[in-house]
Amino acid sequence: MIHSLFLINHSGDIFLEKHWKSVISRSVCDYFFEVKEKAVDPENVPPVLQTPHHYLISIYRGKLFFLSVVQTEVPPLFVIEFLHRVADTFQDYFGECSEGVIKDNLVTVYELLEEMLDNGFPLATESNVLKEMIRPPNILRSVVNTLTGGSNVGDTLPTGQLSNVPWRRAGVKYTNNEAYFDVVEEIDAILDKSGTTVFAEIQGVVEACVRLTGMPDLTLSFMNPRLLDDMSFHPCVRFKRWESERVLSFIPPDGNFTLMTYHVSSQNLVAIPVYVKQNINFFETGSCGRLDITIGPKQNMGKTVEGLMVTIHMPKVVLSANLTATQGNYTYDLTTKVLVWDIGKLNPQKLPNLRGSLSMQAGAPKPEENPSLNIDLKIQQLAISGLKVSRLDMYGEKYKPFKGVKYLTKAGKFQVRT
Amino acid sequence: MPYLGGEETVRELRRALSNPNVQSDQLRYRNTILKVIRAMSQGVDMSGLFSEMVKACATVDVVQKKLVYVFLCSYAALNPELSLLVINTLRKDCQDPNPMVRSLALRNMTNLRLPSLVEYVEQPLAAGLRDRAACVRRVAVLGWAKLHNLQASSEIDAAVVNELYSLLRDPDPVVMVNCLRALEEILKDEGGVAINKPITHHLLNRLKECDIWGQCQVLRVLQRYRPQSEDELFDILSLLDASLVSPHPPIMAATLSLFLSLCSGQPAVSLAALERVRGPLLAACGSGSREMRFTALCHIQLLLRSIPGLMGAHYKRFFCGYAEPAYIKQRKMQVLVELVNDENVAMLLDELKGYCTDVNAETAQAAITAIGRIGRSYSDRCLEILTGLLGLKQDHITSAVVQTMRDLVWVCPQCSDTVCFALEGCEETLQDSQGRQALLWLLGVYGERVSSAPYTLEVFIDGVRSEASLGVKMELLTATMRLFLCRPAETQDMLGRLLHYCIEEETDMCVRDQALLYYRLLHCGIEETRKVLQGRRSDPSLGVLIGRPAEPVSQWARSFNTLEPLRQGSIETESVSRGSPEHTMFDPKPNADLSNTLDCSRIEKVHSGKEDFVWMEECVRCPTIPRCSPQSLQAAMQLVNIQTLAFTPPQTLPWRVYLYTHTCLDDAPHSTLILGELLYTGEEPQKAEVHKDDKALKGFLSILTTVLHTLSSERA
Repeated sequence: MIHSLFLINHSGDIFLEKHWKSVISRSVCDYFFEVKEKAVDPENVPPVLQTPHHYLISIYRGKLFFLSVVQTEVPPLFVIEFLHRVADTFQDYFGECSEGVIKDNLVTVYELLEEMLDNGFPLATESNVLKEMIRPPNILRSVVNTLTGGSNVGDTLPTGQLSNVPWRRAGVKYTNNEAYFDVVEEIDAILDKSGTTVFAEIQGVVEACVRLTGMPDLTLSFMNPRLLDDMSFHPCVRFKRWESERVLSFIPPDGNFTLMTYHVSSQNLVAIPVYVKQNINFFETGSCGRLDITIGPKQNMGKTVEGLMVTIHMPKVVLSANLTATQGNYTYDLTTKVLVWDIGKLNPQKLPNLRGSLSMQAGAPKPEENPSLNIDLKIQQLAISGLKVSRLDMYGEKYKPFKGVKYLTKAGKFQVRT
Repeated sequence: MPYLGGEETVRELRRALSNPNVQSDQLRYRNTILKVIRAMSQGVDMSGLFSEMVKACATVDVVQKKLVYVFLCSYAALNPELSLLVINTLRKDCQDPNPMVRSLALRNMTNLRLPSLVEYVEQPLAAGLRDRAACVRRVAVLGWAKLHNLQASSEIDAAVVNELYSLLRDPDPVVMVNCLRALEEILKDEGGVAINKPITHHLLNRLKECDIWGQCQVLRVLQRYRPQSEDELFDILSLLDASLVSPHPPIMAATLSLFLSLCSGQPAVSLAALERVRGPLLAACGSGSREMRFTALCHIQLLLRSIPGLMGAHYKRFFCGYAEPAYIKQRKMQVLVELVNDENVAMLLDELKGYCTDVNAETAQAAITAIGRIGRSYSDRCLEILTGLLGLKQDHITSAVVQTMRDLVWVCPQCSDTVCFALEGCEETLQDSQGRQALLWLLGVYGERVSSAPYTLEVFIDGVRSEASLGVKMELLTATMRLFLCRPAETQDMLGRLLHYCIEEETDMCVRDQALLYYRLLHCGIEETRKVLQGRRSDPSLGVLIGRPAEPVSQWARSFNTLEPLRQGSIETESVSRGSPEHTMFDPKPNADLSNTLDCSRIEKVHSGKEDFVWMEECVRCPTIPRCSPQSLQAAMQLVNIQTLAFTPPQTLPWRVYLYTHTCLDDAPHSTLILGELLYTGEEPQKAEVHKDDKALKGFLSILTTVLHTLSSERA
């Protein structure tokens, strides 16, 4: 199915290759490089390319291309999902998924790739199973290994492979039993000039950190589960019970994992936490322009908006910006033409404002389109959709665990058109 | 390999590998091997170290073993003789008490892929199938597939195939799925695994135990199964229902694919399944991974071919974000065009208008083309936007707008006034040849209504010497000829100059021949020329054809969940680059005469084979000669929801048209499908249809007769 995998960095060097069937020469990537060259921006390289003898299916993550070579017809969603799984696994093992980290952990990377696919078919991709076969590197262990000459390979048979619950190993023991859940929501929204919502959607994720002894069976229930659309669960969640009772019932994997992701898409349910009053003008003559932006709180359920930041990709003709900010500070990068205004905490009594003039290249025509504003923000202890966890129950074990839930709202692709 | 200092590195590493001090220190030995692997992954040719690496293989350190195997598998093909040395170590490892070591050895033994080693590999592989550790069996099963690939011509050992079939019942789900994969490869010539009823039900029952990759594989293999009865079919479908709304897009897609292949005889069930996957597909469209979003979009395009209204309420999901890659934006626009209706058209056009000024020229052009497509149904609003865009005086935008207008005007001739008005002055901003070709075509066809047309052409003709594009020259010739026909006084002189240049000085044969042809044509007289050059005009009734009829699901079901829908522009092949529309449209010639007298009488009814369908013949007499083209017939039929399946070419006898329609009566428990054949034998047309209930048939007949009458009276 998947014949080979090439890892290619931002500038187009192949720094790792792995073949699960016969070896395919690197020159197959030339087709890819040709398209990449044409696309200018690496993000614009289409994920599926056809060459005379192969298909190249690639994903772009963390400034790296994961390029798979496929010889026969395959379901595209399958391959793309798998490549993301590979990237997720690297992320999980090494904390980040970048060229440097992969090169530093070459041995583990080869081991992982070897276990994840055999003869081109996905084999073991569940992080818990992999971690039993190949231990993730950490500083302490590498010191110990250096001293004792030990290896980071598990020398016992991975029990998970034969257990009924493939994502949890048997015999887990902790002195402090704890289960923490983070509800993180990202608002994706497009607002138009007048401030009306063109499109708004919440992408939510429930991350869990569960360290519990034995085989606990957890039930997590929400105050208002009907808010959610398009849920996607970790395989441990019993889907039937969700469908009938709207509770999450599961035997958790050990450690950190993503319990569920969801969308809230009906627009009237999506609260927009801030409003933006903006006025950007470019004058026909005099090669200059004016900019005036004010941000104020809108629907934030009484919580403070933090980490507020406005990013504007200015048109190429804007040479410099001479602005004053009543709060925070701004930077204008001359080469990338990006204006960043870092505001910080939003004070509803004194609204932050940024105003001043923009100077443009002399003689250049007035830009035909005003730049969009990208807004970044954070609200602690609030899930903007109103989702609330009501209780967590544990069955199957006798002890009492520590429990905790945290909420966080962030801006995802939050864009204001001007 | 072109790597600086490659040879030096190889020599140094060889020295280190064969140094006994290094060999005795496990850590140093492993680190040296690691250096070899590093260099190898940078593309340095390390094949020279093969014999040293073979020696390093005999160790108790599992990590070192793995590293050496990575090396050996990459270079084994270059050193088949030396590889023989590894086999002994590997076979010894296959006896190791640790199942991980056993599976590792087995896997690498088969990964060497050397035909000369097959005889040594077969025995441990056979033992591996019976190993008590599941992870060894998993590897062994796939090992047989690799072995088979190695010597594809040799015949298949029936005992192994039998054993693999029996391992389909293995308690470990991965072993089961791997068996499927291996058998699919080994039995490729026989069409893959034999999928019979017991195997199907066994696989379906164990589907839940597999991981998502395994589920996809099982679902894919099951596509070959044909249920023996309707009851069985529905049992299977209800088992699969949960996977259909699976949160994992690959499973959802594989399940839908299976649904469609199982229900190929049940269009209603297929359509219901499509409705069911709407949610998961939309979720995939909003996924965090842009590649996933793209693939989901491409598949949504397929679904829309059968249910154009499927995503109507969700059109906002297809609005483009600022930072999305161009390939997603372009697909989203293609989807948006399909979703236009009276309520959202204003909003959609506003949105598309915003994309027209995108930084990426291709995206901007795609947006303009999309507006043009919507213009076929909402021409006034769209023309207003397009005209507005011309005011921006941007080279690539103007070019795309002019091309879009050309295409639009061909389909909707009623727009021509606005277009002619907008054309004035835009030749200054046009740079690329496609845009200029479109402008020339418009000037040629609508020359009498664009006051500045001769002057614009004159500029082109004066610059013809430095013109590089062949297409522009050809178009210029035709346009000047056409303009000459309607405004001879202003054009005569420049036409003369152009023909002279093209015949005497032009080096390209095509242009010269074309010019000669026109020159000789002019000799035949003005009437003859007019007949040739202005013969074809678009038919206004073509406009009705644009609303694409819903295709049956079977048209695209096979390409669902394959790479097919992802290929560039697979659906909207009407790309921007192409010539005048008249070359791509087929000829709307008047059709053979139908019949003379009108009188609708039933001749015969009911040849009943089964209970639920009826076959009947009906004769319709038309009073006058309906000289209708296939297009206008099709358009007229579509107005009353009758779809045409196929025509015989015009002017053949007997002439046939195949029709179908469904009825959905409120009081009827089921819908009725009517298939009809319209037959014209030269004397009288008659039709025959196959269908279910009498009431619907009567309705259909009366509608069809009305249509035929209307058509014939129109042409009378």
